[in-house]
Amino acid sequence: MSDATLASQFARISRRRTAILMAGLAALLLSVTLDLMAGPADLGLADIARGLVDPAGMEPRFRVILWSVRLPDALIALGVGAALGLAGIEIQTVLNNPLASPYTLGIASAATFGAALTIVLAPAIPWLPAAAALPAMALAFALGAGGVVLLVTAALGGVRETVVLFGIAMLFLCEAATALLMYLANAEAVQQIVFWTIGSLTKAGWVELALVSLVFALVFPFSLRNVWALTLLRGGEEHARAIGVDVARLRRHAILRVSVLTAFAVCFVGSIGFVGLLGPHIARLVIGEDHRFLVPASALGGALLLSVASWLSKSLLPGVIIPVGILTAMAGVPFFVLLIMLGRRAGR
Amino acid sequence: MNLLEVEGVGFAYGRKPPVISDIGFPPLAGGQLLGLLGPNAAGKSTLMRCIADGRADTGTIRLLGQELAAMPRDERTRLVGYMPQTPPQPSSLTAYELVRSAAELTGMALGRGEIDALLHSLGLAVEAFRPLSALSGGKRQLVGLALALLRRPRLLLLDEPTSALDLYWRNIVLAQVRRHLAEAAAGAIVAFHDLDLAARYCDRLVLLDHGRVVAGGSPAEVLTPGNLARVYNVEAEILSGADGRIIVNTLRPLVAHPTHGESRC
Ligand SMILES: Nc1ncnc2c1ncn2[C@@H]1O[C@H](COP(=O)(O)OP(=O)(O)O)[C@@H](O)[C@H]1O
Ligand SMILES: [Mg+2]
Repeated sequence: MSDATLASQFARISRRRTAILMAGLAALLLSVTLDLMAGPADLGLADIARGLVDPAGMEPRFRVILWSVRLPDALIALGVGAALGLAGIEIQTVLNNPLASPYTLGIASAATFGAALTIVLAPAIPWLPAAAALPAMALAFALGAGGVVLLVTAALGGVRETVVLFGIAMLFLCEAATALLMYLANAEAVQQIVFWTIGSLTKAGWVELALVSLVFALVFPFSLRNVWALTLLRGGEEHARAIGVDVARLRRHAILRVSVLTAFAVCFVGSIGFVGLLGPHIARLVIGEDHRFLVPASALGGALLLSVASWLSKSLLPGVIIPVGILTAMAGVPFFVLLIMLGRRAGR
Repeated sequence: MNLLEVEGVGFAYGRKPPVISDIGFPPLAGGQLLGLLGPNAAGKSTLMRCIADGRADTGTIRLLGQELAAMPRDERTRLVGYMPQTPPQPSSLTAYELVRSAAELTGMALGRGEIDALLHSLGLAVEAFRPLSALSGGKRQLVGLALALLRRPRLLLLDEPTSALDLYWRNIVLAQVRRHLAEAAAGAIVAFHDLDLAARYCDRLVLLDHGRVVAGGSPAEVLTPGNLARVYNVEAEILSGADGRIIVNTLRPLVAHPTHGESRC
């Protein structure tokens, strides 16, 4: 090693990490472009560029496809992916558990139960506007579950094992309740519930996109405010407390953020495979543990994963749209394993 | 003014019986190093945590004349450098990232050069950018020590800081702690299992057993064959080295007595 100071070495590492983030953003742009180009209607890069700049000059048929279908779908992939990626890294760090994900707290399962309940009850309540009721109920149940987890966390003084155990109990409870509903429901309702569970981006439009983006934009700055504390927490809770971090409070606030992010992310698109687990892991392997970079990189990783999945779901099999929830898992797992193996070889 | 006063401290985990009771010792002055001795489960770590958190069930702990319990968290963690017994956990986090994050969180304008100097002095410069999971236990222990020393605290609480270190680094570390105490008019409480090391570097010793103070005073006063037999259940002779330093020569363990060690609960 040269006689460079450690501080200057760290500055160099940080610059490299910034460059990686920039490269990630460029990759995101590329994947959104590919996503916009993919689909049955033949829209080339030039058509899309022109259509984005000058919608009025576009052929109405293509305008509808671009502005009402492809663009909201492509952007909601980013919003939901980023929200789940961000939620994932926060929950992994504050629970000190690499297997934790936004799903660990049972919030997504609660959303599924809310959706299932609406699907089963909707025919019995004729005045209920089904299209709005489904995400609204999913959101209400998800936020409710998040609130309960938060209360329990606060009541137990934020001990992390109990949070994980309680979250998992919540998860199984909601899944059992959903299973009971499916057992009682008719075949059509069951099919609808299954479809919701798989997760799909096509259910969401501009309003949903605006909501998810707003939530992410509101939460992200608060996550960023805690990046040094989160990095320190990776050394262990006792050491963080010795330095003066209020770990219980940090954990409570993170769980609040995770609950809101997850609730809004899954209520519109269904429970999308483990973007919230994979995004942070990939980000960590690529960029390291410094949360100044890891937190944005996890959001970026989640967004990129879901965006690529959205593109692949339309372009992998000609004429067939594979549900994106299935794709994230099926394409994500081999990719993940590959990364881990590469990381091993690099001695990390 | 006294640096640290500890009187009548007792603590229980939850509703269980107290694990330490009525612990106190004469006030600690600036520059002094107090060694905390005692067998496993004697209550050394518990006492350290009570002081670090400024929280006990009974008794008072005063730092620079101020009740620790009433001191705001920020001030307490700035004045007290606490190194827990468990070193920083292994992960892909690097030593530099950990120490740097601690420095950033202190809100003090810490020069970058200070982290450099600290890591160099603890022999961590080469490993600074390796993941903690790739470091030996001893190196991770040194990283924990770096965290405690970082803010040049007035009170150091080091819980078995040398247990994973080799002969060379044990001495380097304790010499460095002594240097810090002299420079910053700071005091330190250090838990030990190595009695020779304690005798060499400590001004005073406190011997704990079953959560109570059994003996306190100079190394010569505390490290007696009688105390060692009573607390550690060993037969030992006390030798004196070339410079009059105390050397404990353990001859053999005495017959197991029923209330010794962790079996008691
Ligand atoms: N977090 C805890 N909860 C309950 N009991 C504990 C806890 N930590 C320590 N103890 C108990 O307190 C006693 C003293 O432990 P400790 O302070 O760690 O001793 P030492 O550091 O001297 O080995 C032991 O009997 C131990 O089992
Ligand atoms: Mg101990």
